[in-house]
Amino acid sequence: MSFFVKGIFLEQKKEPMLTRSTLVMRQEFEYFDCDFTDTPVEELSAKQIIELARLAGIVDESDGKMLWEKLEKANLGEGGTLIIDAIDDEPYISSQMSICIHQPEKLALGIELCEKVLSPAKTYIAMYRHILDSNFGIPSKIGKYRVKKIGGRYPAESRVYRHIPKGKNSVIVGACAMLHLARAAEENQKMTSCFVTVAGDVVKNPRNVEVPIGTTAEKILELCGLTEEPEAIILGGSMTGRAIFEPENETVGPTTRGVIALARSYGTYSYTCIGCGRCDHACPKALSVCAMRKFAEAGKLDMLQQYDVSMCIGCGACSYVCPSRIDVSATLLKAKKQIEIAKKEGTL
Amino acid sequence: MKDKLMFQNAPHVRQSESVVTIMSGVLFALLPIYLMSLFYYGARSLVLGICGAFFCCAFSAIGSLLLREKPVPDLTPIITGLIIPLLMPADIPYYVVISACAVAIFVVKLPFGGTGSNLFNPAAVGFASVAICWPELVFRYPATMQAIEIFGESTAKIAQSPAYSLSFGAVPDYNVLDMLLGSAPGPMGATNILVVAACGIFLIVKKAVNWITPVSFLVPYALLCLAFPRISCSSFDALCFELFSGTIVFGAFFMLTEPVTSPKRDFGKLLAGISSAVVVFLFRYFGGFEIGFASALIVMNVFSPVFDAVCENILHAFRHKDSIIATFKTDRERKKLSGEQAVKIVESKEEKTVSETEPEEPVEIVEEIDLSEKEESGKEAVQ
Repeated sequence: MSFFVKGIFLEQKKEPMLTRSTLVMRQEFEYFDCDFTDTPVEELSAKQIIELARLAGIVDESDGKMLWEKLEKANLGEGGTLIIDAIDDEPYISSQMSICIHQPEKLALGIELCEKVLSPAKTYIAMYRHILDSNFGIPSKIGKYRVKKIGGRYPAESRVYRHIPKGKNSVIVGACAMLHLARAAEENQKMTSCFVTVAGDVVKNPRNVEVPIGTTAEKILELCGLTEEPEAIILGGSMTGRAIFEPENETVGPTTRGVIALARSYGTYSYTCIGCGRCDHACPKALSVCAMRKFAEAGKLDMLQQYDVSMCIGCGACSYVCPSRIDVSATLLKAKKQIEIAKKEGTL
Repeated sequence: MKDKLMFQNAPHVRQSESVVTIMSGVLFALLPIYLMSLFYYGARSLVLGICGAFFCCAFSAIGSLLLREKPVPDLTPIITGLIIPLLMPADIPYYVVISACAVAIFVVKLPFGGTGSNLFNPAAVGFASVAICWPELVFRYPATMQAIEIFGESTAKIAQSPAYSLSFGAVPDYNVLDMLLGSAPGPMGATNILVVAACGIFLIVKKAVNWITPVSFLVPYALLCLAFPRISCSSFDALCFELFSGTIVFGAFFMLTEPVTSPKRDFGKLLAGISSAVVVFLFRYFGGFEIGFASALIVMNVFSPVFDAVCENILHAFRHKDSIIATFKTDRERKKLSGEQAVKIVESKEEKTVSETEPEEPVEIVEEIDLSEKEESGKEAVQ
């Protein structure tokens, strides 16, 4: 199947963050300690756990949904699978992985509680394996739960579902949410913090930090220190995050995965597309990216729809490989939005 | 911290490889070929190369001035200007090279929108046009190992090239080693097969060129030459003469692989390679000139969007596999039911066509079939 090669290999650059323990940023006020229940952890019922997640306000960091809603709606049925998302396939980002490595007991407790609610046939933790630029070994077991190592090219999240037997349901929840669930059950703590990777080539002390939700990007960068003035500060992952201009006003939320400071923005190139077709080969959905970009620039929405622009997942692999440094992925996502708007208005 | 911040779009890490590195790789690969022609024909070959590169750059600068665009520091005209003299004999007059460059830039490149928008390979069109205008100059090759005067009328000894001998069915009086090392007369850069192949492999390793294009061209071409020999000698010798004469190997690595005019996907490249092998073979066997590569390449450039469309259609079918299978199934059911029991499936059609995972339910036979409606729903699902 070399004709349909999908995705790209990335330099992961996770090393100093992944092996260092998580730094906890002190909160300026006390934790919202709440008395949820007096029942010991082992005796919590499924309903109580969902109520616990609701009261603690736990947000799943992998998709931004409330955990209790997810648990309530999930219907695994017979032979369903529970997947703990600790994939972290984007460069620099390692906040979910570091939880698995540095706080395995808490994580295992959280998963146990989650299992009580969903009663799945199988549970595993998904982690990205191809960290080629360091000799970091991924554990094969965390607590009693097996780690499925997902290899291959960059957008690895779609391959998570490959291990699930056909016709069976599955639920994917984030590792940080599991940790917060365990904390709520054991220590009666509300979710007031999030795990963020602070990295980049100008960060003095790159590591994973636990910061209160609502901390500004400037404060987080001050905590880790900067060696020189960055040209680009990114909130979120290095492949899908967004560049920010006002670090003193931009705050981290429960779904923020990283704060990255780069010495140089990649800048603008004045070259045009030379039609090398690398974007077509990088696309994990096997879309004809090169042709679609031309249609998007010409505003041909009907052709774009025919070429399945709605299947674009915005992973940014096409922009990464482009030798002319064209913002292919941004152009396509914009066109996708335009099509959605046009469909709503009924003009397409 | 705030003042230096710049805007940039989503992937914030980018590949270090850029247009400049790819193009400079190609330039670097052309250098040894020029050195070999310097060894065989003297300094005139280098001056020809510099002349071609200079005039191509000058013409594209003039073009961007005329179009009132900001000139881009672009290496593609240099590559075009360096490839054109390599396709010609070493004693070619300078005005032929300059007019080929003018055609390449002013006719092929600029009217279509500059770099990245040209429909045809500029070097191939430039060469083909001068081959039509001055065939007696372009296809007259000097013997190797002689220093040709840098300026003025050439007094070099003329020799018969292997490609010309092959065109009327004569066995060339050179052995295979001569052909490999380039001591047989021929185009300035295309006779040193070993050097050209080494440079091509360098390009493949550097990933400036996809390996599928040269391989899918050279292998079918060799098979065709084996199947239909033109000369009567051992089949290995005949194959070597056919492959190593003219600009076959040079063109396979440096002209067929031009990114702008070749198909984008591997499968398209494979189709284009095979079909251009057939076309080049036909041009060389039945064409008027002994070197038909450039003209064949121009013909094949027309078809590269077609190959792209073929790939897209195949992948489109793969993406919509489920709905296509579903429509096929409903089609078959309809055929089964047609005839005596002209009927219609009661279940909501859309649900059935879109999701294939639902277990098939027993078909209830109630109404008369409505063929046109069924087909429409099938088309919707495919789109």
